[in-house]
Amino acid sequence: MKTAWIFVVLGVAFLVAGSYLGLFVAPAEEYMGNVQRIMYVHVPTAWNWMLAVLYAFGAAIAFLFTANAKWDARLEAGLEVSTLLAFLLCCQGSIWAKPTWGVWWDWDPRLTSVAVLLFASIGIIALRGFVDDPHRRAVWSAVATIIASVDLPIVYYSVKWWNSLHQQQSSPQTVSSQFHLPLRLNAFGVLFLMIGFIMLRTRVANMNRARETALPPMTEHAGEIA
Amino acid sequence: MLIASLRKELLLQWRTRSQFMAVFVFGAATLLLFSFGVGPNAEMLRTFSSGFLWLGLLMSSTLTLSESFHGEMENRALEGLLLLPSDPRALYYGKAIANWLQLTLLGCALVPVMVVLYDAGTTQLLKLLLIIALGAAGLSAPGTLYAAMTAQVRAKQTLLPLLLFPLIVPALLASVKATSLVILGDPMQQSRSWIALLGAFDLIYWSLCGLLYGRVVEE
Amino acid sequence: MSGVITGGWSFVIAAYSLTGAGFLIYAISLIMRLRETK
Repeated sequence: MKTAWIFVVLGVAFLVAGSYLGLFVAPAEEYMGNVQRIMYVHVPTAWNWMLAVLYAFGAAIAFLFTANAKWDARLEAGLEVSTLLAFLLCCQGSIWAKPTWGVWWDWDPRLTSVAVLLFASIGIIALRGFVDDPHRRAVWSAVATIIASVDLPIVYYSVKWWNSLHQQQSSPQTVSSQFHLPLRLNAFGVLFLMIGFIMLRTRVANMNRARETALPPMTEHAGEIA
Repeated sequence: MLIASLRKELLLQWRTRSQFMAVFVFGAATLLLFSFGVGPNAEMLRTFSSGFLWLGLLMSSTLTLSESFHGEMENRALEGLLLLPSDPRALYYGKAIANWLQLTLLGCALVPVMVVLYDAGTTQLLKLLLIIALGAAGLSAPGTLYAAMTAQVRAKQTLLPLLLFPLIVPALLASVKATSLVILGDPMQQSRSWIALLGAFDLIYWSLCGLLYGRVVEE
Repeated sequence: MSGVITGGWSFVIAAYSLTGAGFLIYAISLIMRLRETK
């Protein structure tokens, strides 16, 4: 578990560096002013959220093909971490939307897709809580994760379409070239942090699973006839 | 095997048709409540009538879908069916098709309620039927799969909507938009694209869920 | 939508602190869970 904590520390270091640059060194953007600085944490969170979803999807497929419990542990970790990132993403996006568009939510296709996937992953985590048999729990969450992941692009395109008929808003702009360094630092920061979290969470899942399937402890007189 | 499965499902549904009536009344009551939620603003009610119809159908579908596995939970019938020398997918598709038919029927039954409550009628009945059928198919495929799962666990009433609702967002969007265009007018012929989206969603999920069903009910 | 948005630091601080708090709380929850299963 040393490696996991190294990743976490590295992640925090990069985030501190990147955020410092993003908050105090990079110039304010032309139209958005200082609010644009939110992008330095929003965009890295978004990229890593997609990675986490991809990881969970991969783990789900791997489990269905191998029936190896370690993939279920990875799926559990991927689900939880991607839920965390999705939640943060929705909050950041909402905080960005208020000063920019005057409302807390602007139905941006990317943000809305994240919200839908957030609910979907919460549902799958809830499902896991209600199934007692470990194997069945693993199979079902893998199936549900695959179904939800396949849905992600469909949700994105349908919301984009749906939204485009009403408004012609631009979504959070891609950051222009002057601002690349803080963005890259933060992107790696969140990435390392995420890798560390997933490793740690996988360990928790493995330990829980071991505890669940363990035999009852041997008592002093076990095995005696009389 | 599929035909046999379908026949069994339809027979079961016919025998419990009073349940359908209850679900229909639930759906109609939901539509009524939406109008109270919005207020007696005829213009607004008409504009959002399509959304209300589909939301009402969605809520009612959770009742229909969870009920559809009720029989299999008694006397361990689900296991018994698995012992048959046939593909579990036939069982899935039989049930999914039966659910689809029931939801389509429910949708059509709610249309007159919508017409009366929201003054939202249309002459393009065939197109409306197509949209209802495709939308119901979008609800039925993943819904039947998740109903199979949740029927076997404790908090089934809460889990089914929790799992299903985020998933069917594209189908909901497309159905609402397409129906809305049919009712309110479609000067730029956009309904075709929404119907295409619905069709694509249905195609993807009817194949994917069928593929995965075997894993959901295995021991 | 053009026009300069002045100020807005409160939003920036809110976003960064929320993100930081989120990661911190999650890390603490992981530590607690690891301790528990040892």
